[in-house]
Amino acid sequence: MEAKVYKDDRQTVLVCCGTGCTANGGREVFRAFQKRLENHPEMEVLPVIKATGCNGWCEKGPLVRLMPRDITYCSVAEKDVDEIVDKTLLEGVLIKRLLYRDPVSKEHLTSHHLTDFYRKQHKIALRNIGEIDPGQINDYIEREGYQALKKALQDMDGQAVIDAVKTAGLRGRGGGGFPTGSKWQSCRDAKGEPKYIICNGDEGDPGAFMDRSIMEGDPHTVIEGMILGAYAVGATHGYIYVRDEYDLAVQYLGQAVKDARQQGYLGSNIMGSELSFDIELVRGGGAFVCGEETALMASIEGRTGEPRDKYVYPTEKGLWGKPTIINNVETWANVPVIILHGAEAFAAIGTEKSKGTKVFSLVGKVVNTGLVEVPMGTTLREIIYEIGGGVLKKRRFKAVQTGGPSGGCIPASLLDLPIDFDSLTEAGSMMGSGGLIVMDDHTCMVEVARYYVNFLAGESCGKCTPCREGIRAMLEILTDICNGKGKLEDLQLLEDISATMQEASLCALGRTAPNPVLSTLRYFRDEYIEHIENRFCPAGICRELTTFYIDPEKCTGCTLCMKSCAVNAITGEKKQVHVIDESSCIRCGECYRTCNFDAIKLARRDRHEN
Amino acid sequence: MGECPLLEAIFVQIDINEYERENEYRKLIENYEGKAEHLLAIMQDVQKQYNYLPRLAIQLISDYVGTPVSRVYAMASFYKAFSLVPKGRYVFRVCDGTACHIKNSETLLDRLYQQLGIKAGETTADGMYSVETVNCLGACALAPVMVVNGKVHGKVSPGEVERIVKEYGGQNHGS
Amino acid sequence: MKIKLNGQEREAQKGESILELCRRENVTIPTFCYHQAFGGQGACRMCMVEVIEKGRKESRLVAACTYPLNSPVEIITESPRIQRMRRTLVMLLARRADRHPLLKEMAESYDAPHLGAIETKPADCILCGLCIHACEEMGRSAIWSMFRGIDKRIATPYDEAADDCMGCAACARVCPTQAIKVEEAGSERKIWNKTFELIACQRCGKRYATREEIEYLQERSGYQQEHLCESCRKKTLAINMKNYLQ
Repeated sequence: MEAKVYKDDRQTVLVCCGTGCTANGGREVFRAFQKRLENHPEMEVLPVIKATGCNGWCEKGPLVRLMPRDITYCSVAEKDVDEIVDKTLLEGVLIKRLLYRDPVSKEHLTSHHLTDFYRKQHKIALRNIGEIDPGQINDYIEREGYQALKKALQDMDGQAVIDAVKTAGLRGRGGGGFPTGSKWQSCRDAKGEPKYIICNGDEGDPGAFMDRSIMEGDPHTVIEGMILGAYAVGATHGYIYVRDEYDLAVQYLGQAVKDARQQGYLGSNIMGSELSFDIELVRGGGAFVCGEETALMASIEGRTGEPRDKYVYPTEKGLWGKPTIINNVETWANVPVIILHGAEAFAAIGTEKSKGTKVFSLVGKVVNTGLVEVPMGTTLREIIYEIGGGVLKKRRFKAVQTGGPSGGCIPASLLDLPIDFDSLTEAGSMMGSGGLIVMDDHTCMVEVARYYVNFLAGESCGKCTPCREGIRAMLEILTDICNGKGKLEDLQLLEDISATMQEASLCALGRTAPNPVLSTLRYFRDEYIEHIENRFCPAGICRELTTFYIDPEKCTGCTLCMKSCAVNAITGEKKQVHVIDESSCIRCGECYRTCNFDAIKLARRDRHEN
Repeated sequence: MGECPLLEAIFVQIDINEYERENEYRKLIENYEGKAEHLLAIMQDVQKQYNYLPRLAIQLISDYVGTPVSRVYAMASFYKAFSLVPKGRYVFRVCDGTACHIKNSETLLDRLYQQLGIKAGETTADGMYSVETVNCLGACALAPVMVVNGKVHGKVSPGEVERIVKEYGGQNHGS
Repeated sequence: MKIKLNGQEREAQKGESILELCRRENVTIPTFCYHQAFGGQGACRMCMVEVIEKGRKESRLVAACTYPLNSPVEIITESPRIQRMRRTLVMLLARRADRHPLLKEMAESYDAPHLGAIETKPADCILCGLCIHACEEMGRSAIWSMFRGIDKRIATPYDEAADDCMGCAACARVCPTQAIKVEEAGSERKIWNKTFELIACQRCGKRYATREEIEYLQERSGYQQEHLCESCRKKTLAINMKNYLQ
């Protein structure tokens, strides 16, 4: 399924300018290349320089890749550009210090394809990102862009497109995991005009940035997917709902829609066929709940994002009461590949009930943070340890949170779980949009539950009683527990409220809101008990329960903790034992986490102060 | 969300200037057809131009689109993109997404409080600086993240906060 | 269309909600946010019942007020599961109107545990949303539900006197917990931070409606009316009819 990469041997410089690398100076590197190569006397054919979307390996950014030799340079700074041009582009010499060094073999690897981070990945949704300039439609076209559309319009009818999606076994990548083919079939069969296609780009899960990368790095794959969807169900209008915070995505999508229109892929009689379809961009207003499809539609209609009961599905009565399909960005990104390369090839990847690949954002306390795309069925262990390089600073793995605020925490004992929709749900979590947040022993699981409930307290639309009042009560209880005011009976109350929220809430936000609480209660109940009975936070996170002191036996006087203290509460000379002033200490734990000599200890706050 | 104590104080000051701006508002608003489906877009344009939604603008939008004022206000109070009170000239957005949270974004807020004297959701009295928490900017691999007026700062250590605040002239503003 | 309701066969109209069916069949389902005039909102979730849909073995919980009957289903309105759910919902909602008889009685009848009261604005508001729908139907939508999440509350824009508010107090009348305060003294009525002049009935002198309300009704109906309070209007109508028939 690998697309042909480059048609000629012209040298190309690919500079990652996704949001991550841009924050690290990627754009400056790009501009430096442009300047340097504007008129280079020694080069007959000037290299092509492209600013690409997110490669996925955010940890090692800014990334610069040189083709066709397939050389990857990591953490490139502006000042490295001249050297890269002179040594590598002109003389063909590798600059070792910019190459990735494998931590185990100690070898310098020329291409990112050889690194552990990339080797196990299988890119379908992310196939073009990092290879193309997302602002150039021709880059997309050169890599089989709009070929699927051509094939569908020439050789297939709408029903055949749906059949292909069904055979492929594609399931929604936004969190619901609903079979995409079935959804499209319902819409095709529904009566009503006009029919609508919506792309849900509201990626609200904190910790997830898969959709952002696709919208920024390969907007045309989303557009092509949507046109195929329109063809399948007979829709004429499309909307891409983009999260307000994603400026770059809005920019690139806007440009892509314009270019697609200009080249005849959008508008009337697309590619000379009977299909007429166009797309409008809508910027979200900043509401997590608008990731819920009925809330999203309400938002487009100019109302507040309050969901409705879905006893009648949007495929029958959606936007303005008309048949509508809403799919996630990543779902759309897979469609052109299924149509062009065949449903069977797609279905050959993954597990029995979860076909294809999934893009995950691997973040948190893991060495290689970034975006990874792996076949369904890959285990958590493989992703976190083999691709991710293991836990940061070699600390103890505690849990991996999946599925965002609707998901749960999975403990070490389940690391060999193959990731697919059903296995994660059985373990008390869910796939969600693909966030994988790695947590170590310095993470407090009670605080994590409180964090998610607090997040939802502000994001719930507030319309229905179980969600609004249930979250309110759970937040009060969890906050009390984190502040040392918890009671054992609280745990039963949390479970009772959770049950009602799961059964009675109006939408999936409310129904899944208890998940972080229930999963942490299931796997980390001892931590809850520790907070309640012993008024102690073993991770050193809950400030009301923790205090820090320096062990004079272990302190080497390195001053690192002093520098990390926000309130200057630590005093001490170099090479002399440092001391924390309890009265000014705010218990943030920075010193504790900074110390490399294990010299800073945790203590129970109420005991220690007395 | 909730009450805006700043509203009363600031409102009196801007009252006079608002009416001079009516034509300016209209120009922005009437870029779109007067339909409910354009409400979000119209409000976003006004928000971006003025850094908040002026009261008069809300009235004009209501008249133009034909949606009652209460519902336009409801949208303004529901969506986080909108502010009913002017934001500071420089807005420090600390990401409190999960990845940033477990990499101790809270400590960044401590540092900002130390420098600017304000907490999340507040604006300095002179209207220069605001501090906000944001729910995930999508740069999770660079946690913890802070964005100041669109510029993304990744892997921000507590020590770096002072340096970044200094860039915008805010050091020791709170003292 | 035939459906099964609590084990008994009943005739349902296609498209009507479970709640409408039950009301007609005198099967009681508790609700807070339902009003015949506005239809089902799906907000309070008290009306959740179990349905077994065609082709399924297991029941699922749905809101009776919004679930449309489009195919033969089996409906169960009472069960231990439903009872437990209602109990928790009442426990949560009672916090908002801790001392109001309606919530107190419901809490007692479900034996709901008592959780600490919370302050709401307006006091005793359970966010059923009936007031905003009344205002939407009868008036100019002067109030709406503002903000979101746990801070959601009913209010006028900026919590100030709203231009659109006519002082008709339809919102106050429909509120199940009397959370909307209407202050009347002499010829004045104050509601939602706005003061209105109450117009006197031309016949009996009773102060019955605000000037804005009368003007709005005249605008909507299209013709001028005498200023008559409801009872006097009925009397006048009766007299006119009598005269006409004679």
